[in-house]
Formats: sequence, C-alpha cells, structure tokens
Amino acid sequence: MIQERNLSIPGGLTGAVLGVAAELALEELTGMEVVSGLLAVIGAGFGLIRIDRRIYEATVNLVKRVPVERNSDYRDVLEQIDEMSIELPELRESFVKLIRAGIEAQSA
Amino acid sequence: MVGLNSLFKLFRKTFAPKVEDRGFLPRLYYLHRALEALDEDDIDAAVRMITLAGLDKKKGPRWRMVCQQIIFRCRVLISLHQKQMDQINTELEIFGKTEDLRNLYLRLQEVENKARDILKNYELQLLEQLSESTASVVQPS
Repeated sequence: MIQERNLSIPGGLTGAVLGVAAELALEELTGMEVVSGLLAVIGAGFGLIRIDRRIYEATVNLVKRVPVERNSDYRDVLEQIDEMSIELPELRESFVKLIRAGIEAQSA
Repeated sequence: MVGLNSLFKLFRKTFAPKVEDRGFLPRLYYLHRALEALDEDDIDAAVRMITLAGLDKKKGPRWRMVCQQIIFRCRVLISLHQKQMDQINTELEIFGKTEDLRNLYLRLQEVENKARDILKNYELQLLEQLSESTASVVQPS
C-alpha cells in the first residue's frame, strides 16, 4: 500500500532558514565557508574516483589492443609491450601489476 | 547526486566542447576527454586534450599516466603502419610491374609514411612534455 505523503511548505521553509542560519553561524565561528567547502570536497572526491577508474579501464584497453600475431606466444607479446613502454615508467608498472594479477588469477 | 550528474553530462555534451580549446575548464575534464579520444583512436584530439590538461604546469600523477597511455598507443599505431609499409614494399616488388599498379603502391606508401610521421611527431611532443614534468618532480621549485 502506498502511503500518501504530506508535504509542508512552512516546514520546508523553516528547515531551509535553519540550514542557512546554521551555515552562517559555522562560517562566523570557523571563518570558513563550510557548505561550499564540503560540496567542493565531495565533488572532487567523486571526480577523482571516476578518473582513476577510467585510467584503469584505459590501461586494460591498451593491453587488449596490442596487435597479436597468430603464431606468437605470450612471451612475444610481453616483449612487444616491454619495448613499447620504454621511458614510460608508471605505465610499465601498471602493466606489470595487470600481468601479475592475470597470472595469479590463472593459477588460483 | 543523480541530478547533478545529469547536469554535468548535459554540460559536457553541449557547452563544454565549444569552450574547451580555451583551456580554462578543470583538469579532470581534459583528462576524461583525452581518455575518450584515446578509446576512439583519435590521437590528434587526445594530444590536444592532454596538452590543455597540463597547461597550468601542475602535471600530477594522473596527467603523467594518461600522457604515457597516449604515447604507448602512438607507438602501437606506428608499429602497425610500419608493418603495412613492409607489406606494401613486398607487394610492390611482386606485383608492381605495370605502371598503374606501381603508382597505386607508391601512393599507398606515401599515405603510410605520412601517418607514421604524424604519429612520431605526437610521440616526440608528448615525450617532451613528460620529461618536463619529470624535471619538475625531481627539482621542486
């Protein structure tokens, strides 16, 4: 059964005024814009989580898109990846981690 | 949060592409765009976006990582073009007896060469930016 919701406009307005008053009081006491600061921190946090996930996906994609010839085995592919990641230290480290995780998953 | 996300998506699809070349949007936006371009193998756009992301000289670890991904993809594509060149050269020797076919192979060669040179340029350009960022990490001002 769906419950009917009773929305109170005066209640909402009171809540909003109390919220603004609390923010102003905190700003006065601490000298910082708390709400906008919090929003900025939350926004940046979400942004960073998303970009880190995208970077990880892109790294996996890069490995998947390395051309593999029919008669080549995994050592050739590793050698190819190794050659192409010269001067790219962070990416090389990520590839090593990915490959290690893959080997561990296979042996498990 | 869902509303905010939709608002950002709308911004990214409508307003942002018109002003992104000016370089004043947040760095994360440019990194996302660079990764999108990389997924589509649009190396020109990826290089443009990563350069814009590094305009403020604060090239952090995420910037370095995306930059290295683009360089890696450039190298993979260069190797593919090199293989195509080898294939064309072999076929030119075997089938390039008539002038028409010979001209066709030579034109293909030219296209492959041009593509490889463009990618090489991008690679060098990004390697330079990457070494600048390494220098700034090693010698903090």
